Amino acid sequence: MTRLILTGNQAVALGAVQARVKVVAGYPGTPSTGCIAHLLTMNLPERTVEWSTNEKVAFEVASGAAWAGQRALATMKMSGVNVAYDALISIAYSGTNGGLVIYVADDPGVSAGMPEQDSRGFALMSDLPMLEPASVADAYRLTQAAFELSEAASTPVFLRLTTAVALGHAIVDLDPTVPPPPARDVVLEKNITRYTKAGSKICKDQHAALIERLDTAGEWISEAGLNRLELSDAPGGLGIVSVGAVNAYLNEGLDAARSAGHQVGEVSILRAVATTPFPIEEVKDLLTRCDTVLVLEELEPHMERAVTVAAHHWGFDGPIVGKLDGTLSRIGEYGVAEVRKALAACSTQLVNRGEAGDASASMTVPAAKAGESVTILPRAHLATPRSDSGDLLPGCPPSAATLTGEPSKTVLSSTDLAAPRPITVCAGCPHRGSYLAIEAAIKQAGFAKDEVMVTGDIGCTILGMNPPFNLLWTEVSMGSSIGLAQGYVHAGIATPVIATIGDSTFFHGGIPGLLNAIQHGTPLTLVIMDNGWTSMTGMQVNPGTDAEFQPEGGRRIDLVKVVEGLGPDRIEVVDPYDVPSMTDVLAGCLTSDGVKVVVAQQECAIQARRRGVAVGTVAVDPDKCILCKRCLKVTGCPALSVLPNAPTELGETVEDLTVSLGSGSNVPTEQAPREQEPEGSGTPRGSIAIDPLLCNGCGICVETCPTNALVRVGSGTKGDAK
Amino acid sequence: MTTCDLVLVGVGGQGVLTIGDLLLRAAFAADLPASFCPTKGMAQRGGFVKAELRLGAEGVGPRIGEGGADVVIAMERSEALRAIGYLRPGGMFLLYDHVWEPTGVQLGVDTYPTLDEVTAEIEAEGAVCMVISPADLPEMDGTRISPNVFLLGAALGGTQLRDLLDASSVEEVVASRWPKASKINRHAFRAGLDAPRKRGDGENHVLG
Repeated sequence: MTRLILTGNQAVALGAVQARVKVVAGYPGTPSTGCIAHLLTMNLPERTVEWSTNEKVAFEVASGAAWAGQRALATMKMSGVNVAYDALISIAYSGTNGGLVIYVADDPGVSAGMPEQDSRGFALMSDLPMLEPASVADAYRLTQAAFELSEAASTPVFLRLTTAVALGHAIVDLDPTVPPPPARDVVLEKNITRYTKAGSKICKDQHAALIERLDTAGEWISEAGLNRLELSDAPGGLGIVSVGAVNAYLNEGLDAARSAGHQVGEVSILRAVATTPFPIEEVKDLLTRCDTVLVLEELEPHMERAVTVAAHHWGFDGPIVGKLDGTLSRIGEYGVAEVRKALAACSTQLVNRGEAGDASASMTVPAAKAGESVTILPRAHLATPRSDSGDLLPGCPPSAATLTGEPSKTVLSSTDLAAPRPITVCAGCPHRGSYLAIEAAIKQAGFAKDEVMVTGDIGCTILGMNPPFNLLWTEVSMGSSIGLAQGYVHAGIATPVIATIGDSTFFHGGIPGLLNAIQHGTPLTLVIMDNGWTSMTGMQVNPGTDAEFQPEGGRRIDLVKVVEGLGPDRIEVVDPYDVPSMTDVLAGCLTSDGVKVVVAQQECAIQARRRGVAVGTVAVDPDKCILCKRCLKVTGCPALSVLPNAPTELGETVEDLTVSLGSGSNVPTEQAPREQEPEGSGTPRGSIAIDPLLCNGCGICVETCPTNALVRVGSGTKGDAK
Repeated sequence: MTTCDLVLVGVGGQGVLTIGDLLLRAAFAADLPASFCPTKGMAQRGGFVKAELRLGAEGVGPRIGEGGADVVIAMERSEALRAIGYLRPGGMFLLYDHVWEPTGVQLGVDTYPTLDEVTAEIEAEGAVCMVISPADLPEMDGTRISPNVFLLGAALGGTQLRDLLDASSVEEVVASRWPKASKINRHAFRAGLDAPRKRGDGENHVLG
């Protein structure tokens, strides 16, 4: 061990190094800046430490690395959580593989500007554990604990410091070694039920799992003894719940109050540094032992409210002193003065109840209301909760089993009989060509589909995660595909990484992620599927939509010029209806270094049709069709069907149609493909049919047909659509 | 009977939501309290689509819980299964037996239910099932009529909706909704209205 002078920020940095963190990304913001600033002064081979474009990108980069199995840290000031939260809440629902810690520095008292917000609200809102070090030494220790907790409960963990701890200097004993990141294999888990948000069942299951992870975190925190409870020898008296940084002033405040003659008697203390999940057991013990409770916390009364609910639940009828009774303020930083002031208020309560210094016996004292008296009993009677819901506290997480609810048996059995109806892209959708080209390019570049991470993004483009494509691995929040992809690169993935995004999503939140990749030279291939519309939500105009649809006085923004302006190593504009050409371009990108951007341009088929863009159609030659169904298997196009009189058996085994997605019913299909039809069995063959009302002649199916039975007809050319 | 809770299901693109929209307009014209709640996130892409329509009740929430619907109209055989749980015992299930096989079924990977399986599930719930086959739909001058308008007529003719809404005023709503197609839509609506009576379902099955 070495003794050093450290700031809280440095303690977080060195704690993370000691926890063998692999990737650290953040955006500067007082009082959090010192953490990454310190790491950048260190020699840290095999690790990535970067200032990202913003806090959301930083969190995405860290999350990608953590999903890939490495330990990662994202750092920001409280305002940064507002920026990161879109990605954060989504990642919270998916959980993590490697330890993922979000270091946020709050600024009660506002020494650096910006709203005096309490980030603990984010932990409550996202059901993520939060640790709040009370001192610099605590910060070093709890940073390491946060990584352990994150991996033990598979959840991202908040680490919250406040200004005094983050910027304060202290003498700390620490391990001076710089252990390298562990040699972990990159985790590449293709599981859309965990890493995407598509569908009601997926999201509800993830919600239940999130709450279950918080339960697990609570158990881990209890076993690790992070929250220290000191109960007085005698029952009764004052119980103090002290949160985070306020712990540092507690002893001093007690001395000051006693010196000033305030009768606080023997006190029981819960020193809370792990505040989400709510430390139920410790608070219960405190309420059982004490007559009066004081909650000391800066900013919002989150802990106090939870204690109040618990008090109601356990039948505690003593006073609870804090902010809700007006004793303390929700504004500003706390110090000894606030602790002393609060203890003075408690002293008055204790004196009124005749408790100060004598808490041993049951007694009757004058009550606050005239004409009434209350009997104060030893707190043992609190062993039975007031309500009959067992140990379940209102507002506290029940187990996942009680949350999911039992669907009625009828609904379950009838719905199970329904055919899975995975959502796919429309007939003629240009994204179909992009998916097929990406898959073909992966193979052409010499890789297997399951070893190349292809991150997805929000909007129609995410439908590539569904059959028959099964191409996309992740869906987090607007623009996250690009930041996440960088995280996988920094985690040490040996294969190329591809990010996919739509044009509107790119404008919305993708640009900062691409900036980050270009600035840091993080190699990846970004495919922007530019169909000119915000389509998933019903064809709204976005900055790249044709000028004729832009608002009067406004203008169209050229997406390609925007990308050019950012300066990637390579930009390619391709036509996704021309799958072979797009495949060649992409394969070239996958085998070259740098940041490559491929813009696949073709207007949304539905909008093109509405505008009267004539593209043509595809016809079937029934004499040539051998009903191998390859067109259907490869494209999954809704315009294609098997004529009703044709047999429905497979011509060859299909392996990828194993995950089913329907609104509200995502049931993995367990059944094996049907037996192969014996060749030459003499069954009338039938043929593929094409619905002329749906087909727009994109011609993607034509390329798949081995017998040239599909023929493009009509006068339009593909290029007309854009 | 002064209220009717109706659940509509089908596949995006069939005009399921349009049935609800027309009933909502008819309720508005009749000064009848109404709530219409479509669920259509992925509707355009051939996904499951559902709508809930509550007629005649004031101050109620938009959702119809499990076992709460008086009437279910399903426009696709397999998707009908997802709506059975909404029906109250003794409710009326109007099934348009259109078959829209998902790709997985066409490839033989997934199974698709038979009509008998679906009606058995419906009847097991103590519901009355009225099945309309696409083949039952009449043409007009060689043109195919809209199944959803036909079904709207059938719902007025064969379910308790007729106690709340006057069929002729619903027909006017349909006609004015698409003025250029008013002739064929009136034809479709009237054909639907007559369908339960022709089948005898009107007498046998409709519960007042």
